[in-house]
Amino acid sequence: MKILARTIVLLVSLLPALALATEAGINSTTLFRFEERSIPGFSKQTVVPATQFIGADLGKIGDENLSFHFYGWGRLDLADRSTAEGDTDGDLTYGYLKYHFPKANGEIKAGRFFTFEGGVAEQIDGVAARADLLPAYAGLALSLFSGAPVKLDRANDNKGDYIVGGRLSYRYASIIELGASAVHEGGMDRNGPNSDLKNYRQTVGGDIWLSPHKMVELNGRTYYNTATSGISEHSYHAIVTPLAGLLLAAEFNQNYLKDFFSASSLRSLFNPDGDDKLTTFGAGITYTIAKPVELTLDYKHFARDTRKDSNRFGGELRLTLADGKVRSGLSYHRVDAGERKASAGLEGFPITSYNEVRGFALYTKDKYDASLDSIVHIFDNKIFNTKTAYEIQASAGYRIMPSLKLSGDLSYGDNPQQSDEVKGLIRLTFNYNYASKGAGK
Amino acid sequence: MTIAKLFIPAALVTGILVMTACSHIFSPEASITLSHPEALPEGRPVCSDCHGEQQLKGTLKPYTVFNHTQLFIKDHRFSAGRDEKICGVCHATSFCNDCHANELEIKPSLKLGNRPDRELIHRGDFLTRHKIEGKIDPTSCYRCHGRTNNEQCLACHR
Repeated sequence: MKILARTIVLLVSLLPALALATEAGINSTTLFRFEERSIPGFSKQTVVPATQFIGADLGKIGDENLSFHFYGWGRLDLADRSTAEGDTDGDLTYGYLKYHFPKANGEIKAGRFFTFEGGVAEQIDGVAARADLLPAYAGLALSLFSGAPVKLDRANDNKGDYIVGGRLSYRYASIIELGASAVHEGGMDRNGPNSDLKNYRQTVGGDIWLSPHKMVELNGRTYYNTATSGISEHSYHAIVTPLAGLLLAAEFNQNYLKDFFSASSLRSLFNPDGDDKLTTFGAGITYTIAKPVELTLDYKHFARDTRKDSNRFGGELRLTLADGKVRSGLSYHRVDAGERKASAGLEGFPITSYNEVRGFALYTKDKYDASLDSIVHIFDNKIFNTKTAYEIQASAGYRIMPSLKLSGDLSYGDNPQQSDEVKGLIRLTFNYNYASKGAGK
Repeated sequence: MTIAKLFIPAALVTGILVMTACSHIFSPEASITLSHPEALPEGRPVCSDCHGEQQLKGTLKPYTVFNHTQLFIKDHRFSAGRDEKICGVCHATSFCNDCHANELEIKPSLKLGNRPDRELIHRGDFLTRHKIEGKIDPTSCYRCHGRTNNEQCLACHR
């Protein structure tokens, strides 16, 4: 309730800014869900959560380049509890002021926001800035952020008291971009078992985008965890476009889990005390056979020190017709899952491979849209005496006004966890834009 | 320790203010536009359909790099980590938060059940499959659940 109250206070505090703003975008999604949960051996549950998502983008607040952005949600359970938490929940996802410099791609943000710099994806309460520097070296840019990581609604979330980081990058037109980034998070709670982890997180690393020829593109990054003195991540992807409409891709990733999981707040799942390494590599092809037909094939190999090798492979065919009004797809994937190695202990702990088949179609016309989506999983071995899981979902929507749309989903499924799973959802979306802007997704 | 806590943010804010004051160190180039000037058609945008092999101002990269192919969407973290401002030309931040959040209310494929064409994770009965996927590649889970958004995990994994 505290969060809901804070959200309401923030919304009220928005009103003066709304009055000043000459560009405004408001988006709201109201969801009413209905679920019959039927887990064998437990009593049936009926959950009816009502959730409100609301966001605002207010531009030109007093100054041409000043804007305010806000997004959050609140939920109220109208029947049985939908989660293990209370009957109500909510979160302020972001709320920040942004000043956009007319030159140098400069920008300053202050408030609660997400930062995606280099390998860091973090929600923080703080400030961030970026700008292109030095006209003589047109491709040099600097971004910095600092503040407090946003904590979760529970004790011992292992978030630090403060975080600071940044990225310096250099670009040479159409050929290369090199980035160097660092992040430091201090004051973390480290009360895990037998852990020699430090009470801070600190990683440094580099990233690269390289295009030696217009048909070739390489993306990659490597990060070193200075708190655990080990490389946490290598991630490199290459794309080759030999013909228009044909993309060939290859990837290589390696993670040292001791170093990659060192900032985990869920040690029972992401154990930073273990010494395991995961190496994955794969390849993919996307071929646009004709403008409306796109075929994608993919393969990925997983090699983990403590498990036998695993593979995932398959393909998807997508068909887009009538200027995007009809979108459909059909896919198949197979996951061959490797068991735990005897040398790693717990030999024989069961894991099963599976096949996945999915088909969907979406049709949009004027004020109406409708979709059908079905997904089936066939497991090699029984899970809770069942080898198959499936879900079929139908959706229909009607645009009442240009900015207001009502839609509803209904799904039925059966799976090893739940039999006869019925879910329904009513969705009211409101997207209002008072601006001369074009695209918005 | 308290001094260190205060020093780092203070130093950063000071740095930003100094950078702002010394505006001559900034590039004189005009910033990229805040929003795409025209409405885009339904479906995934292919930037090069209109822009050809031109260079996207502000990134010094060709538009083809930002074509929303299936492979681009799968590996969009690379672009987001470098060119977040470009994402913002068409996407509100809340678009990212449909999947990436500190505390997510419902799984993306439920919230957007009327958009089967979008690449959304955990479709169908993921509760059963997470035991398999998590063992094969726990790093893929960690990107969203290791430090954030793990209330649902805690229902069983304590």
